[in-house]
Amino acid sequence: MATGVSILPAQQLAALNDAYRKAVARKRLKTMMAGAVFFGALVVAGIGAEVNLRTLFTYFGNFVSYFDRILTLDSGQRVWTDVGEWFWGWQKWLKLLAETILISYVGTLIGAVFAFALNFFTAQNTSPGPWLRFIVRRLLEFARTVPGIVFALVFVIAFGLGPMAGVLAIAVHSTGALGKLFSEIVENADMKPVEGIRSTGASWLSCMRFAVLPQVSAGYASYALLRFEINVREASVMGFVGAGGIGQELVVAIRKFYYSDVSAILVTIIVTVFVIDITTGWLRAKLFGKEARA
Amino acid sequence: MSQLPKPDPQALRAKYPDVFERPASARLATPLMLLAAFAVLAFGLFDLGFSPSRLVSGLRELGWITLMMIPPDPGSSLPTYLSALGETLSIALLGTTLAACMALPVSLLAARNIIPSAIFRFPVRRFLDSIRGVDTLIWALVWINVVGLGPFAGVLAIAVSDFGAFGKLFSEAIEAADKKQVEGIRASGGSTLHEIRFGLLPQVLPVIAGQVLYYIESNTRSATIIGIVGAGGIGLQLAEQIRVLEWQKVSFLILMILIAVAVIDWISTKLRFAIIGQRAVA
Amino acid sequence: MLVVEGLTCRFGTKAAVDNASFSVQPGSFVGVIGRSGAGKSTLLRMVNRLADPTEGRILFEGVDVTALRGKALRQWRARSAMIFQQFNLVGRLDVLTNVLMGRLAEIPSWRSLTQLWPEQDRALAMSALEQFDMAQFAAQRADQLSGGQQQRVAIARALVQEPDIILADEPIASLDPRNTKIVMDALLRINKHFGITVLCNLHSLDLARSYCDRLIGMAAGRVVFDGQPSMLTDHIARELYDLEANDVIGGAPMPAPDAATAPALGTAAAA
Ligand SMILES: Nc1ncnc2c1ncn2[C@@H]1O[C@H](COP(=O)(O)OP(=O)(O)OP(=O)(O)O)[C@@H](O)[C@H]1O
Ligand SMILES: [Mg+2]
Repeated sequence: MATGVSILPAQQLAALNDAYRKAVARKRLKTMMAGAVFFGALVVAGIGAEVNLRTLFTYFGNFVSYFDRILTLDSGQRVWTDVGEWFWGWQKWLKLLAETILISYVGTLIGAVFAFALNFFTAQNTSPGPWLRFIVRRLLEFARTVPGIVFALVFVIAFGLGPMAGVLAIAVHSTGALGKLFSEIVENADMKPVEGIRSTGASWLSCMRFAVLPQVSAGYASYALLRFEINVREASVMGFVGAGGIGQELVVAIRKFYYSDVSAILVTIIVTVFVIDITTGWLRAKLFGKEARA
Repeated sequence: MSQLPKPDPQALRAKYPDVFERPASARLATPLMLLAAFAVLAFGLFDLGFSPSRLVSGLRELGWITLMMIPPDPGSSLPTYLSALGETLSIALLGTTLAACMALPVSLLAARNIIPSAIFRFPVRRFLDSIRGVDTLIWALVWINVVGLGPFAGVLAIAVSDFGAFGKLFSEAIEAADKKQVEGIRASGGSTLHEIRFGLLPQVLPVIAGQVLYYIESNTRSATIIGIVGAGGIGLQLAEQIRVLEWQKVSFLILMILIAVAVIDWISTKLRFAIIGQRAVA
Repeated sequence: MLVVEGLTCRFGTKAAVDNASFSVQPGSFVGVIGRSGAGKSTLLRMVNRLADPTEGRILFEGVDVTALRGKALRQWRARSAMIFQQFNLVGRLDVLTNVLMGRLAEIPSWRSLTQLWPEQDRALAMSALEQFDMAQFAAQRADQLSGGQQQRVAIARALVQEPDIILADEPIASLDPRNTKIVMDALLRINKHFGITVLCNLHSLDLARSYCDRLIGMAAGRVVFDGQPSMLTDHIARELYDLEANDVIGGAPMPAPDAATAPALGTAAAA
C-alpha cells in the first residue's frame, strides 16, 4: 500500500497536537457547560413534575395492556373480528363527528372573517395609525396565547353548555392565530401594483380589490385551510369541558372504561383528521399552483 | 381624447372568444364557492344552536365576567399558583425533551435518504401521523388511566403527542441535509453508521435543536391546559377557579400564563438565534 | 494496474458512460477531458463504487472491484481515494476530524463512532495537514475555511486513506487561479513523489496538457480519445468539445491509445 504522508518528527507533532487539544478543549468545555445546565434544568423539572421512574416502569405494562384492552371487545375477541359490534354506536358517533367538523368549520370561518377585518389594522403598510395598530396587535396576541379550551371553559359558563361555546372559543383563538399570519402576508405584499392602479385614478377600495387582494387571497385561503385542520383536532376535545362535539362521548368512554368504545372513537377521529389533512393539503397545493400560474 | 381607432365590438368578440364569452363555469366558480361556503356557515349556525337572543344574553354575561375579573387578584393562593406554574414549565420541558429523544431514531426510519424503500417508510410515516391526529388532551386522559392523576401523566402526554410531530419534522430536516457531505464519508470507506454519525448528525442536530426550542414554547401553552383533565400544572387550578366562579383568581392565573409564555418565548428565541447564529458564521 | 472493461452506466435509457475500456499503469497521471455531461464524473464515481455500473468490470491488480461488498468494498473505497469538486467535507466537524474520516475503513467501528482515534492515526492526520500547511487550522470548523483550504483538507483526507489511486473529480473547478496551482501541484507531487496513480477530471485543456502524462477524451459517454497530451491537437480538441452537438459518433469507441483515434474523430465529425 502506497503511503503519501511522511509522519512528522515527534516534537513538532506534539506541539501541533497540543494546540489542537487546547482549542478543542475550550469548545468542549462550552458544550459541556451547556449540557450540564440543561441536565440540571431537567432534574429540577423532574422533581417539579413528580416524575417517578419507578411508577413508569411498574405501570408501563398498563400502557401496553391498555391498548390491548381497548382493542378487545366485551366478548374477549379482537375488535376487528366483529366490526359491527366494535362500531355499535356508529350512528351516534357519526352525528357527533359531523357536529365536531361543523364546529371547526364555523369557528374557522368566523375567525377568518374577523382576522380578515382586523389584519389591515395590524399590517405595517396598511395600518391607519400606530395606536390602533398597537391595541389590535395586543388583542390578537391575547386571543392567540390563551388556549382555545380555556376560552371554552369560560364561554360554557357565559353562553351555557353546548356547541355554541365551542364554536366561539375556536373562533376567538383562530382570530388571534390567523390575524397574525394574515397581516404578515399583507406586509409581504408588493405595493407597486397599488401605485399602478392608483395612477389610473382608482379609489382606495379599488386599489385593495384589484392590487392587494389578488396577491393575498391565495395565502389567506391557504392559512385558513391549515387552521381548519388544526381546529378539527381541537374541536374533538371541546366536549371535555361540555362545549360540544365528539369529545363528550370520548371522555365518558375513557373515564368509565368502555374500552372498545375508546378505540372506536379514536379510530373515527384519526381517520377524519387524516382525510381532512389530505384534502386541505391537496386544496392548498392547488391554490398555490393557481397563484404560481397567475 | 383617445387616439385609438373606434373598436368594432363584433369583430373583437369573434377574434377573442375566450375573453368575452368565458364559460359560465369559469365566471361563476368563485361566487358560487363563496355562496356555498356561507350557506354551510348559515346551516352550521342554525344546527349548533346559535340564536341572537342567546348570543346577546351570553355576551352580557361575558361582560359581567370580564368586569368581575378586574383587578386580577390571587387572594392567598399565590404560593400554590407559583408552584403550579413551575409544575407546568417542568411538564413542558420534560415532555419536549423526552419526545425529542424518542423521535430522533424513529425519524431516521421515516427519512427518504436513509430508508429509500417507500414500503418501509410509509408505515412509519402513517404511524407518526396517527399519533399526531390525537389531541394532547386525549393522550393526557389515556396516561392518567395508566400512571394516575398528576403531572407525570402530563409529561407523558406531551411526550407522546410531540413524538408524532417531531418524527415528521426531524425526518424532513434529515431529508434536507446536504448529500455531498455524506458522500464524502462514503467515498473514504465509511459504513452506513459512519455516514449517519459523521455525515448527517452534525448537519441535522442544530436544525433539530432549533425545532425543539420552538416547541418548548408552544408546549408551555399545551402544558397549561392538560391540567384541565387532571394531569397537573396550572390548568388544574384554572379549571378549578372557573368552576367556583372566582373570576379575579382566574384573570390572575391567565395573566401568569401569558407572562410565562412570553418569557419562555423570549428565552427560546434567544437560544435559537445563538444556535443559528453559529451556523450563519459559516 | 487499473483495468476498465466495457464499463457502462445507464440512468433510465440514457447511457452516462457507454462501453468504456482502458487501462491505467501504476504511477501515471491521467487526465479525463470532455464536455459537460460527457460522463466523466460518472466514470470516476463508478471506479470508487459510488455509482454502480450497469455492465462491464473494473479490475484492480487482478481483483474484480465491481463484485466487492461490505467491508471489502469499503476498503476498496479507501484505496481509491476520491477528491470532489465541492470538497464534500463535513462542514460542522473540525478539520482534523474531517481528515480522520479517511481512516474509517481501517479503524474498528466502536473506536471511530466514539471518536477514540488511535494515536498513530491522529499523528498521520496531523502530518498530512502539516504537509499542506493546514495544521494550524486543525481545530477549526471545515465550513469556516476558504475553498482552496477546504480542498487541501480534502486532499489530506484522501492521503490518510493510504490510497493506491486518487480519483479527482474536477478538483479545481471552484477555485481561483492561485489555489488551482496549489492543488494541482499537490496532486502532481503526490503522483511523482509517492508514485500514487492519479485519475483526474479536468475542464481546462491547458492544465490537462501541462500536468497529465496521458489524456482520455470522452464524448456522450464514450472514450473517443486516448493518448499523449501532445497527440491532442487543437483540431481534435475542438472536435472533442463540439462533436456532441450532432450527437452522433460513428464507429466503435477507440480503446487503443494510438493514432487511429484521430482519423476516427475526423470521420465522425464529417458524418
Ligand atoms: N444520478 C443520476 N441520475 C440520472 N442521470 C444522471 C445521474 N448522474 C449523471 N447523470 C447523467 O449522466 C450524464 C453524464 O453525467 P456526468 O456527471 O458524468 O457528466 P460530466 O462529464 O461529469 O459533466 P460535468 O463536466 O458537467 O461535470 C449526464 O447527462 C447526466 O445528466
Ligand atoms: Mg462532473
